[in-house]
Amino acid sequence: MAAPSLSTTQQQRPPLYRDAVVVKWALQLFILFLVLFAMWFLSKEAGDNLKAKGISTSFDFLSIDPGISLSEGIDTEPDTGGRALWVGMVNTLRLAIAGIFTATILGVAIGLARLSDNWIVRKFGNVYVETLRNIPLLVQILIWAALLGGLGRVALDNGPINGWLHISNKGVSIPRVFIADGFYQWAVVLLIGAVVGRWVFKQRTLKKDQTGEDTFPLGYAAAVVLVFGIIGWFIHPVFGFLNAPLQAISDAFGAIPEIAMQLALSAVAILFSARWIRNFFAERRTPAGTARLDDDDWFRVIFAAVGAAFACFFFLALWPGLSSWLINSFSDLFQVLADKFGDTPEGNARNGWPVDAKRPDIVQAGNFPNYGPAGLNMTLGFAAVFFSIVLYTGSFIAEIVRGGILAVAKGQTEAAQALGLRRSQMLRKVILPQAFRIVLPPLGNQYLNLTKNTSLAIAVGFSDLVQVGQTVGNQTGKPLSVFAIWMAFYLACSLTISVVVNFFNVRLKIVER
Amino acid sequence: MAAVENFVVNTDEGLLPQADALPPELPSLPPGEWMKKNLFSSPFSTILTFVFGAMALAAINVLVDFIFSDERNWTAPATNLRLLMTQAYPADQYIRVWVSVGLVAVLTGLSTGLWNAGDALSMKRISMWFMTGGSFVALVALLAPFDSGRRTTWLILAAVVVGIGLAIWFGLGERRRSIFVRSIYVVFGVLGAIIGSLWVVKYGNYALADGELVADPDALVAPTTRIPWTILLAILVGTYFIGRGLAGKVAALLKAIVMGAWLLAPFIIVWVILRDPDLDWDHVISTDIPMALAFGFGGGLILYALTKPGLGEIGKIVAGVLLAVAAFNWVAAFFGWYPMLQKARLSFLFLAIFALAAANFAGDRRTRLQLVWGWLGFMAVVHYMATMANTASTLEIQGDFFLGGLSLTLFIAVLTLMLSFPLGVLLALGRTSRMPIFRVLSTVYIETIRGVPLITILFFFSVIIPIFLPSGMGLSETAAIVIGYTLFSAAYLAENVRGGLQAVRRGQFEAADALGLTGSQRTGFIVLPQALRVSIPPLVGQAIATYKETSLVSIVGGFDLTRIADKVISAQTDFLGVKMENLLIISFIYWVGAFSMSKYSQKLERRLGVGER
Repeated sequence: MAAPSLSTTQQQRPPLYRDAVVVKWALQLFILFLVLFAMWFLSKEAGDNLKAKGISTSFDFLSIDPGISLSEGIDTEPDTGGRALWVGMVNTLRLAIAGIFTATILGVAIGLARLSDNWIVRKFGNVYVETLRNIPLLVQILIWAALLGGLGRVALDNGPINGWLHISNKGVSIPRVFIADGFYQWAVVLLIGAVVGRWVFKQRTLKKDQTGEDTFPLGYAAAVVLVFGIIGWFIHPVFGFLNAPLQAISDAFGAIPEIAMQLALSAVAILFSARWIRNFFAERRTPAGTARLDDDDWFRVIFAAVGAAFACFFFLALWPGLSSWLINSFSDLFQVLADKFGDTPEGNARNGWPVDAKRPDIVQAGNFPNYGPAGLNMTLGFAAVFFSIVLYTGSFIAEIVRGGILAVAKGQTEAAQALGLRRSQMLRKVILPQAFRIVLPPLGNQYLNLTKNTSLAIAVGFSDLVQVGQTVGNQTGKPLSVFAIWMAFYLACSLTISVVVNFFNVRLKIVER
Repeated sequence: MAAVENFVVNTDEGLLPQADALPPELPSLPPGEWMKKNLFSSPFSTILTFVFGAMALAAINVLVDFIFSDERNWTAPATNLRLLMTQAYPADQYIRVWVSVGLVAVLTGLSTGLWNAGDALSMKRISMWFMTGGSFVALVALLAPFDSGRRTTWLILAAVVVGIGLAIWFGLGERRRSIFVRSIYVVFGVLGAIIGSLWVVKYGNYALADGELVADPDALVAPTTRIPWTILLAILVGTYFIGRGLAGKVAALLKAIVMGAWLLAPFIIVWVILRDPDLDWDHVISTDIPMALAFGFGGGLILYALTKPGLGEIGKIVAGVLLAVAAFNWVAAFFGWYPMLQKARLSFLFLAIFALAAANFAGDRRTRLQLVWGWLGFMAVVHYMATMANTASTLEIQGDFFLGGLSLTLFIAVLTLMLSFPLGVLLALGRTSRMPIFRVLSTVYIETIRGVPLITILFFFSVIIPIFLPSGMGLSETAAIVIGYTLFSAAYLAENVRGGLQAVRRGQFEAADALGLTGSQRTGFIVLPQALRVSIPPLVGQAIATYKETSLVSIVGGFDLTRIADKVISAQTDFLGVKMENLLIISFIYWVGAFSMSKYSQKLERRLGVGER
């Protein structure tokens, strides 16, 4: 598909309908037109139908009381629709993060078990994987919910219970470790400790590289952080002075005029676009110094320029509120940080412990006894989704880990044996680092799947984003707006995960000659 | 690859020693050495053996206690088996369900026979299966909360099974390693044993009479289903041997027919056999048949003319005009300018597509007629199916759709796969295309769909699609759900196919260009066949995922297997709150389907040697 229009020799040009470039672009523009037309047509129809049915697509429900109460979360009686969705998002993220963490550990363990020399361990892994990954997740969630729902009821004695763990058909309650008054000052001490620890780590590594003796860099660094943590536990109130500078930063952000922010954002967009185009031209430049671009390249350049222009238009005219929102957010962020170092809301100085803990308790607020706020409670819905999602995703991660280890070339194992490495050393220093590189992209995919699969929590009434959105959408009659929020949230999640995975992927890439 | 073919050819006679064809299986270690190697190779391994052995025993104990506990109400799923399979399909029309299963049995039998599918199993392996299976039964009998009578029965059964295994092992001696049996015979044997047991054991299913559970001998599962199942097994085995007995030209022809039949079977089963259309013969004779003939022969003439060698640009222009006419028909439908039967619009569209492909069939009379015959057959199928699907059904059912339970699950899975495959291939081609606008559109579509959970898409299509449709156009909920599944699955399928496309070597593209093939010829004849071959294993994986994901329709209101087990049965007055038993039964049903597909995919992967190349 070379572009004949760029050929240097003077040729007879083919007729218009046979010119590859013309046909190619005409076809594409035609299809683009068709897609745009279909979208326009459907949205027009939707607009008419919505008007006829009295449904609006506005987002005003975000600030209206939806009149619903949620089964669990940071706020079970949200006073606005936006707050309700926010609670749902936090619940989804809690489930996803806890799930990813646990499923990884479980999956790696099962994956290693499937490669074990021991027959029973190997069979155990096989049966686990072949059973769990072939049963739909939804059915597994329902089974867990039925199983947990059949447990005993919560006992009626009020107050802190005499134990560390309580299991019933209301869920699981364990002691809660929570952030107390002095946590943020203590965190500053830890941060300084981490910086010092990093420096110590580098020094020890340097010494190891120079002298070859074992200098335990990681151990030294951990010890430094630990010492800082212990000292900070007692001296942390001195860092209360950070209140003033943070307050000043917050005020400075609040003083930025809106137009300055808009111009700054536009300038950033133009700068990015210009840099990209410059680099693109530099890449295409031949040694003779002339750039040869085919029509596809021109498309990219124009696309980048149009993108920058659109971004400016977006910041300046389409949504000018974005800038003031950004200014306010930054200002609020530093205000919140400043408050963490000032006096507590009750007006006390922050002299208490950084962290504190409480044991589970049982209270009777309404008709039935339930777990009180003291313990860390895992409700029935959360537990059902959490266990099933961890076990289900664990079976897929196990297969990925197994595949990754098997994919490490056999020569690597033989070379490690020839060097006289022990089996554990061989795994730790030769096979696992290489397997990790192979495993990473599919692993990221599984994390993504896990995050999306938390949406099945709706089947057991756990208040995740989809369940809350469904309720809010029905109550306020704005399913389209809720769908847009769902999409934005889940796309943001997948983007975050793929950025993190790509970051490690690039760092771990084998540098080839 | 070559080795596999060899061995399939050489095991033609089933139960013959394969001394020269297939090397005998390696002798296994004596039990003592085997245990030393696999269980006690090191102190750490010994500890693992005891820890995991104890864990496995405990797990089996818990499971067995749970299953055989008196608190379990297994009559709930047993009584509702029909509900789980076909929901409210009318009992007096049930023969249609059997005919559908029979059609599948015929096709399965013919395909396994014609393609000579399946491996061979050594008698040694079969004997070991008997012995492990028997030991497991004995273990269950010892751990389960049985009374002594029941325990004795189970132990005797276990002893018989182990005894058969031992008899094979010692009866054959060392020959057990070199005698091979086709695995298909083993499958037939297992099926035969299950179906045969229907004649012996009266499976305890109770009928509900006047709101009470009555042990009604006429309503037990076994007596009401043993005759159809036996006939079906006979059909399966019979068609297998017919398929294997054929050879040469007949077999080649039959292979083509069977492949086409597999593609058509889902539609025939659902819209013709199960739905039982009530044909209006006047309309059929006055409109449907003439229309089909007109499109068939009119289109055939146009296509024959278009395949004339050396036609040049005129062919393309005619095809373009036909495409424009087809597109205009749809636009007119949206705005309601003039009425037209939907199948006529479809026929115009297909004619345009055939006309676009016509240039590839330019040549002698035979080649040209190939396209025309293809068109005639295609039109016959399209018009037949369209007529059948558009006729009112004679079935009297409540609700939106006449399928439910397992039949709905399978219907959604199969239809989704068949519809999303072409869409997925198109998207994959778009994403790897050198045309930037196609690439951007496909990429945005794929990444957006892959970024959001399936359930939100199903909500979107079941709740919101009626808002988007022009006034006067309706869509049943099941159709909306299938569209949602298809669009979702296509994005994932596209990524699998893209993997295959990237595996095609650059040299193949260059060779196609060097031969002077056009872009579409290069894609259709050179690139796609190789790409699809590589992506078969991930495509089967996608099929498994779709099969499991059908359970999500239960959330948006479909009465599939999951919904019936979780909500419907547990709401019956006799089985109020009984969930666990139903859920375990359906997880077993799901598991059987998904597990056999994944085993098949692993086998394919080995056959294609994807891992080794």
